[in-house]
Amino acid sequence: MQSKQYSVKVYECSIDDEERFMSFFDTNYTLFKDHLIVINGYLSQNIKDYLNSKSLIFINNIKLPKGRSRRALEEEFEAQRRESDIDKIIAETKLEKLSKRLQNNLTVLDDIIRSGRELNIDGDLLLLNRVNSGATIYTTGNLIITQLVEGSVRCDGNFMILTTSSKANVIFHGEEIDNSFLEDRLSRVELKNQEIVITPVFKKEINWVS
Amino acid sequence: MGIVIAVISGKGGVGKTTAVANLGLGVAMNNKACAVVDFDIGQRNLDMILGLENRVVYDIVQVMDGEATLKQALIKSKVNDNLRFLAASQIKDKRVLNSKKVYKLVKELKDSFDYVILDSPAGIESGFEHTIEFADAAIIVVNPEVSSIRDADRAIGILDSKSQKVKDGGEVAKYLIINRIVANMVQSGEMLKSEDILDILNIKLVGKVPEDSGVIDASNQGKPVILDKHSIAGQAYKRISARLCGKKVDMKDVEVSDSSLFKKITGIFK
Repeated sequence: MQSKQYSVKVYECSIDDEERFMSFFDTNYTLFKDHLIVINGYLSQNIKDYLNSKSLIFINNIKLPKGRSRRALEEEFEAQRRESDIDKIIAETKLEKLSKRLQNNLTVLDDIIRSGRELNIDGDLLLLNRVNSGATIYTTGNLIITQLVEGSVRCDGNFMILTTSSKANVIFHGEEIDNSFLEDRLSRVELKNQEIVITPVFKKEINWVS
Repeated sequence: MGIVIAVISGKGGVGKTTAVANLGLGVAMNNKACAVVDFDIGQRNLDMILGLENRVVYDIVQVMDGEATLKQALIKSKVNDNLRFLAASQIKDKRVLNSKKVYKLVKELKDSFDYVILDSPAGIESGFEHTIEFADAAIIVVNPEVSSIRDADRAIGILDSKSQKVKDGGEVAKYLIINRIVANMVQSGEMLKSEDILDILNIKLVGKVPEDSGVIDASNQGKPVILDKHSIAGQAYKRISARLCGKKVDMKDVEVSDSSLFKKITGIFK
């Protein structure tokens, strides 16, 4: 694209008396010949012909951009810059939160969670030990427990992987999960299209060919 | 400098006090200076089981308050010269205890005995917390039943968070005694197996004590069952006491013996 910028002198007027207008232009022709003539209001054929005969450039009924002081321009520019700074900060925090969500604040624990202990984890939890009867665990993120769960577990994450005994109480996204699905084998509980899906991580029995 | 062992259980009635009396006597029989202390303030029992009911003059609260010296309050056992007993107060309750007093008493006992065995009250209240606060090791007594296991689990949890040794960055050694095992009930699956209990509690086993009707009679008579050569429970306590003294004793009723267990036990008592 090619573009050029001009500063043009503009003479703006409206016409009441055509005779007077023409005589005024006749006398001041030298002054107006480099101007852009803007005529507001009604423009008759008579005047058009007159202006054309003088080869003056004119336009009718146009709203001219009003010029502003340098100071006002600077203020506007400053405000724009500030706004873009704020936008940048907002974008950065959004990015940070997103990365947090991706990492999910993983907590790794190798404690045996004994009766009476209450764990409230904001984020993911990887627990490498038992959850005994009478203990409570709540995570906002995903949950993986490699040993037997006999206590109470509540998880609001995308998935959890655990094995329970018949004593355990498991709640996933507010829904109580029947223990018989999770007993004696590692199972994955996850949310798929608003439905809770339970799949065994690996099968315990291997049927050998006899 | 001796070692302080707190005997705890969480649940009441599992045989804590009986275990303390028998282990105290058992350790004394292994030629170690031993003191057994009843921390169950307000519910004194240990004196009866040791057969020292009529000898109690001063109690633990009076020693802590400076009304009597420790020497005055310690009662010598009738059956073994190595064993001393400090009675709990029957009048006061456990609210009279505070950490400073308990620390001073435990320190004094630790300086003059090889083994100090503290009988904890049941439950997990302040009395229990004071018992475990300055202990070097804990013996957890359980019965093979679910409620006892859960309460013991809770007690271990508190032990791991409230003990002074843990607060100083150390670890309290924890040993398990499974009490009142009925062999044929375990075999028929009615009673919890030792392996399952160890799985849940995840601490080292120091011994199993079988159910024995002689225990009640022995307690009533004030003669700990360990003195009865024919009692199976007495023999079990004898073995446990020997293990506490660092001797290598095979687990009689255990299918698989854990050799590293003995190393650990002798290790902490050095």
